Amino acid sequence: MNLTLAQGIVKASALLGAGLCMGMGALGPGVGEGFVAGKACEGIARSPENASLITRTMLVGQAVSESTGIYSLVIALLLIFST
Amino acid sequence: MALSVEHIQIAAYLGAGICVGIGAVTTGIGSGIIAGEGAYGIVKQPKANEQIFRTMLIGQAAAQTAGIFALVISMLLIYGRADAPEGGWFKAAAYLAAGLAMGLGSVGPSLGAGYAGGQACKSVARMPKHGNAIMGNMLIGQALSQTSAIFALVVAFLLIYSVPNQAADISMGRIIVKSVALIAAGLSIGFGTLGPGTGIGYVAGKASDMMGRFPNEKPKIMRTMFLGAAVSESTAIYSLVVAFLLIFAL
Repeated sequence: MNLTLAQGIVKASALLGAGLCMGMGALGPGVGEGFVAGKACEGIARSPENASLITRTMLVGQAVSESTGIYSLVIALLLIFST
Repeated sequence: MALSVEHIQIAAYLGAGICVGIGAVTTGIGSGIIAGEGAYGIVKQPKANEQIFRTMLIGQAAAQTAGIFALVISMLLIYGRADAPEGGWFKAAAYLAAGLAMGLGSVGPSLGAGYAGGQACKSVARMPKHGNAIMGNMLIGQALSQTSAIFALVVAFLLIYSVPNQAADISMGRIIVKSVALIAAGLSIGFGTLGPGTGIGYVAGKASDMMGRFPNEKPKIMRTMFLGAAVSESTAIYSLVVAFLLIFAL
């Protein structure tokens, strides 16, 4: 595959965008899910009889918070493979 | 434009400086948090000073891991290269990207491990009787938060040693695409480890804290910590996948 200079710059910008997209996009979910899990540890220690309820809430919350990470992954893959 | 050996050297030295510069800042903050909490704990509980001091030292050693990774990568960037003019833009971009990957990649894990160690020192000061359980939990939690630093280390190694030399008959467009892809791989894993590293450190800190307050709930606390840390790690794994694709699929 040989590209002209203009095509190369377009593709290169898309790839830089993909890297930044996934890098920055992983930042929020990582911190957020960690916070959820930390608070869940605290909650389970304080009221262990509700452990299953707290674990369920933690997993649902993390799944929702994960969604933006998955959006970033999708956009990064689109930028890599379909430009 | 062809690059000379000196150009590649400039990129490598710049990468080495960025790598250990950013890495040293955050490992310093992380171990500083632990030392602060340790000193405050000894003020509150002078009888347990040996135990608190031990927890502090072990916690600081674990929090330094990411800084040591950054040091290793910058040493490799300075002394571990085999420069040749054929390397061209690919090698220059790869060395700079390796420095960015490991430098940025050490930020989150060292802050996270610092928080975990600080909470553990506080918890040992409150409950010296359960010091060993707290310290064990702290070490496991810090190890979990360092996994994302290990991802950054792997990507930096691959960038230094597995990127091929630039072929002679290659168009300028192709050179730009491949070089930018390598830098983007470094940025992807570098920023991508920041969130999971900090987040897992928070989990480990809270778990260590609660281990001291409610030692009977140890199995439940550890189970929640592992589960939460594993889910939080997933975004670092996405970044790793994107970085691998950017290095190898283009």
